[in-house]
Amino acid sequence: MKRKMKMALSLMLALVFVFATACGNSNNEGGNNTKTPETTNATNEPPAEPMTIRFASGNNPNWDDMQSDIGKFIKEKTGITIKPEFLVDNGDETLALMVATDEYPDLVVPGVATNKMVDAGALLDLRPLIEEHAPNIKKVYGEYYNRLRWSKDDDAIYTLSLTGVDHTYFDSGSGFQLQHQVLEAAGYPEIKTVKDYEAAIKTYLEKNPTTADGQPNIGLSLNGGEWQILISVTNPAFLATGAPDNGEFFINEETYEAIMHYQRPEEREYFRWLNHMNDIGLLDPESFIQKYDQYKAKIASGRVLGLIDQQWDYNQAESALKAEGKFASTYARFPVTLNETYQDHSFQGTGYLPALGIAITKDAQDPVRLIKFLDYLASDEGQVLLNWGIEGKHYNMVDGKRVIPAELLEQKTNDNNTFVKTTGIGNYNISARYGDGVKDPSGNYYTTTFPEQIQAAYSEEDKKTLKAYGATTYKDLWPSDDAFPERKYGAAWTLPFDSTSEANVIKQKTEDIMKKRIPEAILAKPEDFDKIYDQFLKDLEDAGVAKMNEELTKMVKDRVELWSE
Amino acid sequence: MKPLTEMTPEAGSTLKRNRFWFKAFQQRYLYLMSLPFVIWIFIFSYVPVWGWLTAFQNYKPKDSILDQKWVGFDNFIQLFQDERFYIVLRNTLAMSTMGLIVGFTIPVIFALLLNEMKGQFFKRSVQTISYLPHFVSWVVVAGLVYKMLSTDGGAVNQLLMWLNIIDQPIQFMAKGNLFWGILTVSDLWKEMGWNSIIFLAAMAGIDPELYEASTVDGAGRFRKMWHITLPGIRTTFMVLFILSIGHLISIGFEKQFLLGNPVVSDYSEVLDLYALKYGIQMGRYSYGTAIGIFNSVVSILLVFIANGIYKRVTKETVI
Repeated sequence: MKRKMKMALSLMLALVFVFATACGNSNNEGGNNTKTPETTNATNEPPAEPMTIRFASGNNPNWDDMQSDIGKFIKEKTGITIKPEFLVDNGDETLALMVATDEYPDLVVPGVATNKMVDAGALLDLRPLIEEHAPNIKKVYGEYYNRLRWSKDDDAIYTLSLTGVDHTYFDSGSGFQLQHQVLEAAGYPEIKTVKDYEAAIKTYLEKNPTTADGQPNIGLSLNGGEWQILISVTNPAFLATGAPDNGEFFINEETYEAIMHYQRPEEREYFRWLNHMNDIGLLDPESFIQKYDQYKAKIASGRVLGLIDQQWDYNQAESALKAEGKFASTYARFPVTLNETYQDHSFQGTGYLPALGIAITKDAQDPVRLIKFLDYLASDEGQVLLNWGIEGKHYNMVDGKRVIPAELLEQKTNDNNTFVKTTGIGNYNISARYGDGVKDPSGNYYTTTFPEQIQAAYSEEDKKTLKAYGATTYKDLWPSDDAFPERKYGAAWTLPFDSTSEANVIKQKTEDIMKKRIPEAILAKPEDFDKIYDQFLKDLEDAGVAKMNEELTKMVKDRVELWSE
Repeated sequence: MKPLTEMTPEAGSTLKRNRFWFKAFQQRYLYLMSLPFVIWIFIFSYVPVWGWLTAFQNYKPKDSILDQKWVGFDNFIQLFQDERFYIVLRNTLAMSTMGLIVGFTIPVIFALLLNEMKGQFFKRSVQTISYLPHFVSWVVVAGLVYKMLSTDGGAVNQLLMWLNIIDQPIQFMAKGNLFWGILTVSDLWKEMGWNSIIFLAAMAGIDPELYEASTVDGAGRFRKMWHITLPGIRTTFMVLFILSIGHLISIGFEKQFLLGNPVVSDYSEVLDLYALKYGIQMGRYSYGTAIGIFNSVVSILLVFIANGIYKRVTKETVI
């Protein structure tokens, strides 16, 4: 009998726990959804009145919760506290759910879901607000202001593009990466084609199968297990075969005909090379199943000799290496192509490309104040604050030039995560801004990325490697900016399909097919490669790729027409 | 007094009705007490069914539900014509059936064995340890599974290599045909202890006199388990089992989503994930709703079928 009681009691206890957790959850959710009532009546008050704004954007692990130097400054100056809601993955799901529930935060960076939000009437037309309250924003966009226009039929401005205006690339974050130690051991050979790249890895791996502390070295690892398969596996396919980035498409520059880029015969050869890399054991077999965390952990352990990725994607892992002082295991970047006949088109001009932008939603408490806030951030004062920090603290004026103190620069380059978290520099770039290479009225650059600064920020290893190749920045290794004509349509990846259109469904299907077939083809035995690639192309056909291509061709042509007005 | 048989049929039914109201009045407090829950269920389970209308529309969030364009069964036709739908349906059913079989047999066996234990302290500790994984998030479990099965120093591969069973590490997570098994085993590890709690509770409720009587009759341990313990928990078991059959098709997607990867997507993608990807994520709310309706209808059918079979076999019913 006693035992029975005890059992019943423990069961009850368990149930109580379940209830407690369940209730706890629902309470939390409720808390998130409720608007903060004390701030809603801040309308028409002087700007110093404290106000909390909810802001949905991609995840930022270095977010400082307004506690950094800049965060505190902004809070004091504008009275505004930003409360971010970070989106998981690339934000697709969370944003779609926002649309489904018809409840939005004040500010949102809708990214891939912009279309859906516009269709749902969730975003405010910013044009009248900018005209009336935001001279600085208008000034920043300058002649490109009209490129913000939504479409041919709708001249509203829904998002303020966050990419820098008049941006000059001084450094390249793309290409194929090799560890400095690999290059040094091989005597800095020429790295132009995939064969050179492969040989460098192969030679090094044969001599050094393990790292100094006995862990096995990995030849080449790709970030192919999550959405970055696009960045690390499929985008390099067109970059290595002489085409610029048009998302999943290849655009014929004369006729504006669009095809899915996998349909180009050149790219089959690129994937064949990856297949070969896998066959000879240089490719990390976990490339397509690893999670992003695993990928970063591997890089941070210094075991991965080569990457094919973008710097922003592997940056955090490389920062960890730098913080540990393992500079020889950090990476140099090269414009590698399939063979000598191709040139890397990463930097083919587009004119100003309005891309990822910030939007004010229809649920915003006080749109006028928000646009004024964004306008402040876009002002000369605001931009210097966001990029450089506070004078006397994060930079000093020396002979009329802004200079970052040595110890801060050291932290910025070698322990960037801490730097961002404590200073807040880089965390508040949420308004219109100038790109690198633009100078403010005082003759200084707005951003901290300019040739001298880039070179100053390179590690000794970077400098040694660059010297060996007779370059001052990695960008020097790429073809010069004017090597190719400007693309009149900008870039096709900025052209989203209508969310309810058939083309949009086809696009999702083709992406699913790609995510399955490309890894399959790369991991297959070399003799099976063609069979699988043929099947891949056939699957694309069956999914209706022709229809989608046709649709995009039309959109590209419309864009050309709209922008040349 | 006139006998009842002389009454007209109308009068009889009036009386019956009166009796009902009389009884209702007598039990008015009980009715009042249950009222909040009836309202609660109505609001949260029946009012949302209104949203099913969107499945027959081309729903755009901008306008109200009544101003939408009606498209009839278009969304359902599209759904049943998509071959991907059949793949995810197969995966869903396969994984939930495997989960159902394993998730009911092993915890019952575990509870049986634990029930036979003498030392209270040991028994308690084992029980507590076994259900702790239930509280670990799937995100963490997926991380553990990936690490264990990794070719890059994963424990399982190293063990198999050390035992000379294999000479090359196996890419467990890249093999589609292993995915269902890996998922089922991870799920079992996580939920076994938790699921056995309720069986243990049911076993504790069995009258000890039955055991004493069977000891007198000379029954051994296995006899007792077979003839007393198992029949003793039959009702509990069947209620849980039939309820889980109702959930066969809606198994959620977090396990599959977290454990899956592009290489095994043909085996890992389940119906809920499909609904998310091709429905909500793409802004096709109507399509997503159509999948939801399909889910609900199949679930209800499954519960009634399972209950019907049980009723026929045992002459008892749980619903």
